Amino acid sequence: MQNNQVLGLHHHIPLTWVRLAKLTPHLGEQKRTTASLLRKLTTASNGGGFEELPLVGPKKCVQQLQCQANLVYCLPEKQGTSVDGEPRRLEKVVCSLLDMGFSDAHINELLSIQPGPSPQQLLDLISEFILLGVNPEPVYVALKQSPQLLNLPVVQVKKRSSYLRKLGLGEGKLKRVLHSCPEIFTMRQRDVDEVVQVLKEKCLFTVQQVTEILHRCPNVLREDPSELEYKFQYGYFRMGIKHVDVVRTEFFKYSLTKIKQRHVYLERLGRYQTPDKKGQTQIANPLLKDILRISEAEFLAKTACSSAEEFVVFKKLLALEEEELESSMSEEEEEEEDEDEEEDEDEDKDEEQL
Amino acid sequence: MTYSVQFGDLWPSIRVSLLSEQKYGALVNNFAASDHVSAKLEQLNAKDFVNEAISHWDPEAESDHSVAPSTACSPNLRCFTFARGDVSRFPPARLGSLGVLDYYLMDAASLLPVLALGLHPGDTVLDLCAAPGGKTLALLQTLCCRNLAANDLSTSRTGRLRKVLQSYVPQGIRERNQIRVTSWDGRKWGELEGDTYDRVLVDVPCTTDRHSLHEEENNIFQRSRKKERQMLPMLQLQLLAAGLLATKPGGHVVYSTCSLSHLQNEYVVQGTIELLANQYSIKVQVEDLSHFRKLFMDTFCFFQSCQVGELVLPNLIANFGPMYFCKMRRLT
Repeated sequence: MQNNQVLGLHHHIPLTWVRLAKLTPHLGEQKRTTASLLRKLTTASNGGGFEELPLVGPKKCVQQLQCQANLVYCLPEKQGTSVDGEPRRLEKVVCSLLDMGFSDAHINELLSIQPGPSPQQLLDLISEFILLGVNPEPVYVALKQSPQLLNLPVVQVKKRSSYLRKLGLGEGKLKRVLHSCPEIFTMRQRDVDEVVQVLKEKCLFTVQQVTEILHRCPNVLREDPSELEYKFQYGYFRMGIKHVDVVRTEFFKYSLTKIKQRHVYLERLGRYQTPDKKGQTQIANPLLKDILRISEAEFLAKTACSSAEEFVVFKKLLALEEEELESSMSEEEEEEEDEDEEEDEDEDKDEEQL
Repeated sequence: MTYSVQFGDLWPSIRVSLLSEQKYGALVNNFAASDHVSAKLEQLNAKDFVNEAISHWDPEAESDHSVAPSTACSPNLRCFTFARGDVSRFPPARLGSLGVLDYYLMDAASLLPVLALGLHPGDTVLDLCAAPGGKTLALLQTLCCRNLAANDLSTSRTGRLRKVLQSYVPQGIRERNQIRVTSWDGRKWGELEGDTYDRVLVDVPCTTDRHSLHEEENNIFQRSRKKERQMLPMLQLQLLAAGLLATKPGGHVVYSTCSLSHLQNEYVVQGTIELLANQYSIKVQVEDLSHFRKLFMDTFCFFQSCQVGELVLPNLIANFGPMYFCKMRRLT
């Protein structure tokens, strides 16, 4: 019955909702939503583009309505105590989600996640992400990947959202962060603060640079703040990379191990020099992208001009060196160099046993 | 260092090796009760590179049939190393039942000059710059020394040399071998003991490139030591000359350094030969070691372009050396 009426209307796109609202009383709650839609529609007919409307096309309408019907009837578990109120609330949520641009399939999935929030909670949560400028598809992906986000109190999410906006991570910049580091919503405020603080106050990045770093290298949120600082110091002092370039080359994306391996290798080969106080080197250092951003094979062939065999051994030796450095630092030992050793070509290790 | 000119494209590989942990060999102490030592070292996955080289020598492949490896190399030397690319380390040597240590850890490349010297049983041997004693010990391990004279200018260094001998050679054998340790000026040996020895090793003081690259302080390459550095080849030449003068006519000398510099290596050899010819009318001939080099190619990386002598190049896969050595025969 319902369907026939819809099909009959497929030539009259803008009026579909309105008609339905009138013709199908149990969708009465839709009126409010419909009213707001009407307003949008009238603006559209006055010259605004249809693109602003969440409605897509006749076929979509049919699908949406059918799906909606299915949703309503397939999710009895979602019902709370009130049998009458719940379906309506659910429908409202579904409709809102459809308005936002989520596909039926996605909505279905999101609502089915167990354990999950109530539909209203889900809507409130998702709304926060949408308001932060993340599109429906990425929101869906993020939530599917990290369902723990769904169970966050909305208050916390709102609070975190406003903080992220302050950091400059609104307007769609959040998408990448949300995808690779959903913890940005679940972690403690204190921990996020620490990371931001290290970047701003210890590493002396500007506010814009901090935003850019969080946006492009969200993994920094997962790192220990003092290790993050050390990584920066390694790049800045040891490798002579300026702040601008640390940001531009996404330096923080790479593990310290990888950075050290490739940098120290080049240095010992004589192919990389730490710039002096004036920022000068005797040789032209390879570009950072040719050091970190390429595969190992390319790095060896193009930048290091060395063999894979040698690099394998080097990495092992470097790991041993780091181990020894750590253990000697923790024991607070100082190694004394025997002066005579400078002239010896044989290592007389057994002397120690005498 | 300006080795990039001398070595070209090879230099980065050498440089990274010099700056990374070197590889060691375990020289088996023949004076300890040592059968189990070889087994122990083999269990660690190390192999005796000397034995490997000699056993893999293919007589058919060699054009020069006159020299068999058994005569070309000093005998009785066993030295274990880990395979190419294996960065394992040897555990420290242990005291055996005879009260001496079971093996001596050294740069395996240091054994090559001793192998090349080609000792025969009953030889009288001189080690002109013996301290700290690795090569001296190796000479004794050949079991060929009728007597061995070990000298080093520095008394503190000869002190170390004595300790090494005490740790590795039981007293009885030390006495039997008539080992004499002295702290005299090696340059005087021509006058002190001219025409005396069958085999002479002149392992000269040099810029010890591997250590110099690590050391910031008191580095031989720093400007304040420039004079000393420039004087070095002169000193080395004088020592080699003394060593040759101390050799019997018909006897053999091996000159060795742990430097990459041809100013300390080939130039010294060529300069000394010229000096001996001009000033002493003594004829010295360089012996070709390319055959010897081929024996050990699997374990060491050799430089292919030495004018005279052989040079082991450090490489990450086989981080031995640098070790330059050149064998000479005193003809007159």
